[in-house]
This record gives sequence, C-alpha cells and structure tokens, in this order.
Amino acid sequence: MQIEFMHQPGNTAARIALRPGETLTAEAGAMIAMSGHLGVSTSTHKKGKGGLLKAAKRLFAGESFFLNHFSAEREAGEVWLGSALAGDMMQYELDRQTLIVESGAFVACAHQVDIDVGWQGFKNLLSGESLFWLKLSGQGPVILNAFGSIYPIEVDGEYIVDTGHIVAFNETLDFSLTKAGKSWVSSMLGGEGLVCKFRGRGTVWCQSHNPKSFGKSFGSSLKPRRA
Amino acid sequence: MKSVIKGGDAFAFVEIELEKDEAVIAESDAMSSMAADLDVQARLNGGFFAAILRRFLVGETLFVNYFSNNTVGTKRLTLVQATPGSVRCLELKRETFYLQPGAFLACTEGVTVGVKFAGFVSWIAREGLFKTVVSGTGKVWYGAYGALLERDLDGETIVDTSHLVAYSPGISLKLQLAGGIFSSFFGGEGLVTRVTGKGKIVIQTRSLSGLVSWLNPKLP
Amino acid sequence: MEYKVQVTRLADGHAEAQVQTAFAQLFRLDTDKAAKALSRLPLVIKEKLTAEQAAKYRDRLQAIGLVAEIHPMLVVAPVPSAPPPPPHEVQSATAPGLQLEPIAAPIAKEAVPEVASRPAMRSPGMAFKIEGRPDFAFLTVTIPANETLKVEASAMATMDSHMTMTTKMRGGLGRLLTGESIFVNEFTAQEAPGDIGIAPAAPGDLAHVYLNGDVIYLQNAAFVACAGDVNLETKWQGLVKGFFSGESLFLIRASGQGDLWFNSYGGIIELDLDGDYVVDTGNIVAFTEGLEYRMSKVGGYKSLFFSGEGLVCRFSGKGKVWIQTRAVEAFASWAHQFRPAKGKG
Repeated sequence: MQIEFMHQPGNTAARIALRPGETLTAEAGAMIAMSGHLGVSTSTHKKGKGGLLKAAKRLFAGESFFLNHFSAEREAGEVWLGSALAGDMMQYELDRQTLIVESGAFVACAHQVDIDVGWQGFKNLLSGESLFWLKLSGQGPVILNAFGSIYPIEVDGEYIVDTGHIVAFNETLDFSLTKAGKSWVSSMLGGEGLVCKFRGRGTVWCQSHNPKSFGKSFGSSLKPRRA
Repeated sequence: MKSVIKGGDAFAFVEIELEKDEAVIAESDAMSSMAADLDVQARLNGGFFAAILRRFLVGETLFVNYFSNNTVGTKRLTLVQATPGSVRCLELKRETFYLQPGAFLACTEGVTVGVKFAGFVSWIAREGLFKTVVSGTGKVWYGAYGALLERDLDGETIVDTSHLVAYSPGISLKLQLAGGIFSSFFGGEGLVTRVTGKGKIVIQTRSLSGLVSWLNPKLP
Repeated sequence: MEYKVQVTRLADGHAEAQVQTAFAQLFRLDTDKAAKALSRLPLVIKEKLTAEQAAKYRDRLQAIGLVAEIHPMLVVAPVPSAPPPPPHEVQSATAPGLQLEPIAAPIAKEAVPEVASRPAMRSPGMAFKIEGRPDFAFLTVTIPANETLKVEASAMATMDSHMTMTTKMRGGLGRLLTGESIFVNEFTAQEAPGDIGIAPAAPGDLAHVYLNGDVIYLQNAAFVACAGDVNLETKWQGLVKGFFSGESLFLIRASGQGDLWFNSYGGIIELDLDGDYVVDTGNIVAFTEGLEYRMSKVGGYKSLFFSGEGLVCRFSGKGKVWIQTRAVEAFASWAHQFRPAKGKG
C-alpha cells in the first residue's frame, strides 16, 4: 500500500494506492473518492477480530463506532481520504511498537494494525483533552490527521505542550498536567492555564493550532442553535 | 535569536530559538509548545493603563506573556494565533506600523505596542474604532485569518470592509458606496474603503465575518 | 506521482538583493535574469520530479531565502483495466477544444527557470493571477478597458478606483432556496484596464478554465467569476439526484466562450476519469459535460447506514471531475458546539 499526501498542511488529502489483496481500514466518513470497483464493508471492528466491546470503547474515545474496510480484491485501486476539519496529515510506520493517539486524530491504517483504547487517567478531565486515547499497535502504516500543521518534537528530558495541541506520542513518553513557567498565578493570568509536561525519551507530534481557540474566535457570531 | 515562520499561509506558526538572556513578548495563550525550562511571566503590557486601553479598545488580552531564557543553552518556543491563516514578521527600525485589532501576535523587546484612535471611517468599515500601533526597533509578528498579501500603494485603491490587516502611517482611509444604492445593497458589497496615500498595505484574503456568513446558511 | 516545485514568495527577514544573487548562483543565471524571474512570483522552478527530488529543490530554495511549495502534478487515471489512450484522444473525446490553464508558468527544461512567458499572457482570456493557494486562494483579474467581469456577490475584496459595479439578478429561485445570493455583480473597467481582487467566502482553492464552446457543471456554491460572454444557467438536478447530493440541489451550467473561475472548500484535486469512479456527494466541485453520474451506495446496506458515507456519486465515462478535500457538512457539525444558545443572544 502506497500513501501520498496532497495539499499539506492546509486541507490535506491522503491518496492510498491498494495492490490486489490489500485492505485499508478507515474511520467512518473519511472517504472522499475512490475507484469504482473497490469492495467496501462496514463493521464495528477489525475484519474477523475484536468486537462490540472495542467499538464501544472507541465511541468513548470520541471516534466513530464503525470502521470502513476498503479492499482491492483482484484489481489494484485507490482511495482518497480527508478529515472533518482543515489540517495536516502524517504517516507513521508501526513496527511492533505502540503509538498513543489523540482521539479524533485517527484516519486510517493497514488492516493488520490493531486499534485499541487506552486510559490516560483523570488528568485529561482537567485538561479538556479526551479522557481516552487510541492505542495503535502492530505492524504497518497508520494515517493521522490534525488541526493545523503537524510538527514533531524529540523529547529527551522534559518539554511543554499546551493542551489542545497534542496529536500523538510514543509510548515511551509520559505526561502530567502542570503550569507554564514557575508561577501558577502567572500561568493563569497569561491565559496559558494548564499545560502538558512530557517526560522521558521519544517523539511527540504536535498540531500547530488549537481547534477550540478557532471555534471560539467566530462561534459566537454564528446563528443560535436550537436548545 | 533565530525565528522562522512555518506552516505556509494555511496554518502559520512561529518557531523561535531564544539564546541566553533573550526574551519575547506574546499575546495571551499564543504558546503552543516550549522547552520546559523557559521562564514565563504574565505582565500588563506597557503598564496598567496601556494594558487596560488595549483590552477595551482593541480587544487584546489584559496580560501578555513574557518568555525569557535564563538558562545557558538555546531554547525553543512555538507561538500561534487562534485562527488558521498567515503570519508575517515585521522588522521595525525606529518605525511605526498600524495593525488592526486582534492582528498582533508577538514582539521582541524594544518594540512598543500602543493604541490609537483610528477614526470613525475605520469603525464603520468594520476595521475597528481603534488600531494597534507598533513602534520602535525589533521584530513584530502579526497575522490574520486567511492568506496575507502585501501591496505597495502610491495613489489609491479600493478595499472591501474587513479585509485590511495592516498599513503604514502614510495611508488614509475614506468610505464610499461600492456601486449605486441598489447595487451596494443587493450586491453584498455595501460600503468599501477608499485607501489613499503612499506606503504599504496588507490585506487578508479571507475574514472571520466572511466565514460566518458563508457558514450560517448551511447550519440547521 | 510526479511533483512540481514552485516559489511563492521571499521568506521573511531576507533581503531581496541577496536572495536574487543567491538564486542567480544556484541556477547559473545572470543577476538581471534572476531578478526578473523572481519578480514574477509564483514561479514554477521544475516539474516532473519525484518526491525526493522535489524536496531537494525546495530545501535548496529555502536555504537561500525563498518560500517554495511542492505540488503534485495530477493525472489520476482511475486504474483502467485497458491501457489508457493517448492524452490528446482523451481530450478530444470529452470536450473538444477545452483548454485548462495551469496556474503557474510552464515547465523549465533544465534547472533554469522559465521566465519568458506569463501564464495569463498565453491564454486567450483575461490576465489573472491566483495567490494564497490552496487554502485561502485569492484571484486578481486585470479587466481590459470597457470589458466586464461577472463576480459572485460579496466576493470583491479590492479594486482599482475607476471600476464601476452594477448588480444583476440571476439564477432565479433555485439560488434563493440553497442560501446562495441570487445576485451577481458586474464590474466594468471604464476607459482603462483595471485590476479587481476577488476573495470567495469559503476557505479553499480556486480553479480556472477557459471555455471554448464546451460545458462545465458547477456545484451551486462553486461559482466565483466569469467573463461577460460566459452563460450561466441554473439546472435542477431532479429530485433523487438533487436530494441526496446535499448542497447540489441545483447545478450551475457554464457554457459559451471565455474565462471561468470556480472555488472549493478545501483543496481542489483534478481527476481525469476514464471508467467507474466514486466521489462522495459533499466533495464534488465541478465536472465536464459528457460524464454520466448516478447516486448509489457504497458496500452493502450496513454500509449505507453506518459507513458515514451515505450515498455517493458514481461517475462513468470520460471526462474531468474536480473534487474538494473537505466537505462543508463536517465543518458545520463541528462548529455546532460553538454556536450561541437560542435566547441568550
């Protein structure tokens, strides 16, 4: 399976070329266009594995309950995928390690990659991040999306990322909620509030923009919603 | 200090490398990631009264963050505006430049950020009754929703309301109808700004108010 | 896939003269030529590169203080089972005489950038440039003296002060129902040529086509501007096709002779179709006449209800489809949480 990105980082689309026999698993609703002869099936789980429990957990993680499977059976074909919001995409090759992914960032993966839901503790309640995170493991390519440009930070020691800017990180890293700088008062007055402090050694992928900040910048001018 | 703007016009963000004893001043909540040992202090920008004026007249936040490097190494800091769009860096050398309310993102020490009455023309043109004035010597980062286009003006041009982001002091604004009375009303253009003088103007290719009027008919 | 590298602007904090000198050295040009080349941005430096080569070019350009972008060069045949026919045949079969205008200057044979031709000069239509691509594209058209450009209501952002504007009704009730303006503005350059800058409301890209007697169907919200001689009609799609395709209850049929510009929400991907291809209804921007299309489901009935794709548009035949990388519905449902509650203001 060959993955290419177009229009990075603004409104990125992924083009996945499938060879005969290959299957791509994607988040429900992500398909923009595809070859007409591809087989499409929808399930709550990975084809032939997992089940309702995993799907229910995924729902909690803010992902769709359902997954779509695109397969090129006898003939090669292609699928174009997009995401709900504007922004960048990245590809990560899993090689028997685990990637922790912010809920909502998952777009697609090779069929043999395992999708599970991980618990990052109650700290996420405070940070406004999702309480659950996806755990992608196994072997094969993974496609993630983000709001804004994606940039990696190699952490060796400590590094601060503002809440709302995390896309994914290696399992070798851990984070805690803390203040920016030395003083709590300063962090609150300066509008940074709580930030995530990563510790350990590994990579954290950040999104340049915070979707909530953008939503708040124009949301109040939209027409009122019912109830 | 090294700084680079990444992310293109779509999702621009500023990556700054602060050397020992260097500092940068940024709008509230502009930091998206930084080295854990940078110092951050919330400050009233330009003193209490200036900060109050900025808060109420141009809608900037009361406090700004002062990021300083008190370690011996080089430390990285990433700054971003709330909306998608372009960010530009302005190098001031004892100069003054006007920014629309909300456009200011960050500056280095040596730059003074103030507020000035922009006139009723600017207000009716939905560009704000007041404007942010940056002056002094140093770097200023500013941005807006959409891509930013710089135009050198010598004479006059017409700019639709809520598209002007920044302009130099030699520029003045006047209002006029886009067409006749009927056209100006039904053509959706209404009032436009006649921009005259000699200097630089910066326009944004999209606006949040445009985004809202595009999205509203599509909402349930 | 092949890529092209395009210089869009000077990086911030670089002196123009220095960059020109460095650019001249890099491509073994004399300084005048380099200066001239760089005065006509955006400028395509090289086409038909692999991803790696393109990245190399971009890095070299960035090192000397130029902002460069890599764009894929798309000719996406949807995996035909038979070998594809030669390109000229495809064109003549679908739309005789259709000319697609590349946004930037043409291919440079060697690493030396082509500076002589300016895309707009080669086209039989009006001179234009598009900046801010692909996410916040902005169109500047030079209207010849006493000629007229039709522009979507509210889209004018800047113009020369001698331009006059009149407002015309068009499209009738169909446009009103779909929330689009029923008016278009006509801008006329009185006595002397004049520039107009156009910013569509949607965050996204712009595409240009020079119509030469052929027909293009646009999704209702996609119209931006056209020359005075291009005809625009609103076409009712029929209840079934229209109802399920969301935004496109009506299509705009553009025909005649002259320039046509249309826009998208998100980036535009241009697909050359030959055979069966599926496009999500929310992602269609425009397509050429002659393509057949029908609404269908993907997969089984389970997929119809749970796949999140609902009904899709299945194209067949030969022609071009322009698709957008984002759909408005998804953005609208995300924005819902930020809307004020009714009654509270």
